[in-house]
Amino acid sequence: MLDDVDLTCEAGEIHALVGENGAGKSTLAAIAAGELATDAGEIERSGRIGLVHQHFALIERLRVWENVVLGHEPQRGGTIDRDAARAFVREIGERYGLEVDPDALVESLPVGIRQRVELLRELARDPSILILDEPTAALSPGEVLRLFGTIALLTQRGVGVLVITHKLDEVFAHAGRVTVLRRGRIVEERPIAATTRERVARAMIGGEIPSIPAHEPTHGAIAVRVTDLAVTGAIENLSLQIAAGEILGIAGVEGNGQTALADALAGLTAFRGSVERPSSIGVIPQDRLLEAVIPSWSLLENAMLGRERAASAKPSWRIDRAAARTQCTAIVERFDVRATSIDAPLSTLSGGNQQKLVVGRALIDNPAFVIAYNPTRGIDIGATATVHTELLAARNRGAAILLVSFELDELFALSDRILVIARGALRGEFADRRFDREAIGRLMVSA
Amino acid sequence: MNRESAKALAVGTLGVAAAMSLAMIASHVSPIVGFNAFFYGAFGGKQQIAETLASTTALLFPALGIAIAFRAGLFNIGAEGQLLIGGLLAGWIGTRIDVPPAIAIAAIFLAGAIGGALWGAIAGWLKAARDANEVISTLMLNFIAASLALYLVTGPLRAPDAAGPELSLLPHAYWLPTLLSHTRATIALPIALLAAFALRYVLNHTWFGYRLRAAGEAPEAARRAGISLSSVALWAMAWSGALAGMGGAALVAGELHRFNTQLSPGYGFIAIAVALVGGLEPLTICVAALAFGALESGGLALQAAAGVPKDAIHVIEGLLVFALAARRYLGARGATV
Repeated sequence: MLDDVDLTCEAGEIHALVGENGAGKSTLAAIAAGELATDAGEIERSGRIGLVHQHFALIERLRVWENVVLGHEPQRGGTIDRDAARAFVREIGERYGLEVDPDALVESLPVGIRQRVELLRELARDPSILILDEPTAALSPGEVLRLFGTIALLTQRGVGVLVITHKLDEVFAHAGRVTVLRRGRIVEERPIAATTRERVARAMIGGEIPSIPAHEPTHGAIAVRVTDLAVTGAIENLSLQIAAGEILGIAGVEGNGQTALADALAGLTAFRGSVERPSSIGVIPQDRLLEAVIPSWSLLENAMLGRERAASAKPSWRIDRAAARTQCTAIVERFDVRATSIDAPLSTLSGGNQQKLVVGRALIDNPAFVIAYNPTRGIDIGATATVHTELLAARNRGAAILLVSFELDELFALSDRILVIARGALRGEFADRRFDREAIGRLMVSA
Repeated sequence: MNRESAKALAVGTLGVAAAMSLAMIASHVSPIVGFNAFFYGAFGGKQQIAETLASTTALLFPALGIAIAFRAGLFNIGAEGQLLIGGLLAGWIGTRIDVPPAIAIAAIFLAGAIGGALWGAIAGWLKAARDANEVISTLMLNFIAASLALYLVTGPLRAPDAAGPELSLLPHAYWLPTLLSHTRATIALPIALLAAFALRYVLNHTWFGYRLRAAGEAPEAARRAGISLSSVALWAMAWSGALAGMGGAALVAGELHRFNTQLSPGYGFIAIAVALVGGLEPLTICVAALAFGALESGGLALQAAAGVPKDAIHVIEGLLVFALAARRYLGARGATV
């Protein structure tokens, strides 16, 4: 996984560790925090190293304060001193701008707040170095700023912060030093002032940055018509249209009704109101490992998912293996899925290559309607470029595309039109690719 | 046989051998003497082999059924009840029809399959329509099946020649032909083996089997790909029950030659162990069923010859299930962390 890596993180600095998926960033973080063992080499720590995982490790059924003090509970005569624990949580929360109700159940909290709890838990242990693994993956622009505000407070108090990310915007806005990891080796380490975005991006992928095709306007008839859509507890009276050959971007903070909208349009959840859409539809689910693939199965079996009952099969109960192989091979070739064999388990592929298979499966039959939900979440630059190129190609072929993304950059790059969703309702529309980042950001958090 | 199921089989075999040695030592029997008696009881002669094969058959049908449900992610522990209801319907049909023997035997097996399928489908329907936990519902349906069978054979279906809680004897022509003359080993064994091959084909080469495995392996991914989890739950439980019910039909037509509420001494439960030891792979399950069949018949000999209680064998089987279930559970949890 990692080969001959030297990395230092000094007190009071923000050090960005960047690299594509599978480069070994998370492994390095786990080793530094003492969660994984090394084959060779050593770690010197002055004080505790705290690690906040990309996928939170909170106990959902417990309250905030219970999660924070777990393992070092303040005691009073053999029982937990609850008042002291609550006060403790409030105190560090105020100190670092991480206010959370100590008595809230973690399962009831949105992602952004859970991350605060996760941070509180690490800060409660008074670390000298704090490692944050992809901390902004699920945050709104406002929450990102708030998080970096907290990080700045930490560095003022002498804590060294190592931020693992693949978002170069954040690196150049906040970090003091950047280290680039590629295929388990460090290929670049510089102060931010002495490097450029392009230089870092090239170092990450080990070559030129792939470009995506130009965005020619297309005109088509309305292909998807949603009228007064309502999903209990998620969206109210939402109406929208998508034209053939149009990418409609949905901007919003996670948990504001995007999931219900995408699921209703995919026919996966009960809704009121009317949805008219083409019957040929391709869906790219948001959570790859949970919703899109079966990691232990082969590429071939994964490529068949949802299309296992092929019309060509004789007799009709059989799986047409030959057709499935042809189709899987076509996906692998057209979508540049890098694998040793289509019979290899999908889990042996990098996240980016798994996602290319998922996208290929959704697009290979040229569906008239595509639902893409965070189609490039957590995948590397090269795979992202492939996914973007293919979505634009589908649009240029005349597909209507609903693109839900938490990355404004992605929405700006691909969308013909953007709708902003907040609290289950549409709050604004930006047509003709005239997108205003500030205005969209404001609408995303509108009440 | 894949690597995982081969490993389960090897570990299971070694574990059982070790536990049996302990049971023998605890009963003050030398393991050499004990294993000698055991293997003689299981394989020592025509009669012993036939006993082993009969137990193998009785375990194989429900074990295959359990594997279907487990592969679909449904913990069907109601094979015992499904077997009983299948046997009841089979035993009833067998006394009601007057057709050539080959057709009668086919009808008896079909009735067993239908009875078991209906009983399994109840839990499948509860899961599909109401998301009822299938562990609870199948377990409870075992008790309902036992009470229902007892009520029917002592009430509405009461047979004039019955000496106990049972239906009338099947006509002699409908008794399953034996593989070895004057033994309990019948053609039910090749039918069960055929079912195992058929199940392997269904799981690996049909869209139904694919959907079933996908639903069991990754329900959310399957659902989002358009696979109806409700439909899978219903049909998987129905087929699961159908195989267990065929086991009931085999016992009725092959061994007792009538339905009796005491038809099964817990085959439906031991079959859970057989399915798990067989790694939920149909062909490996055949091997596991043979091993457990030998345990059943060898265990009896061990009790008769060496005084090691037969219950010790059942304790060992129980421990084995426990160990395998724990391993599966821990394995599944480890994978998600």
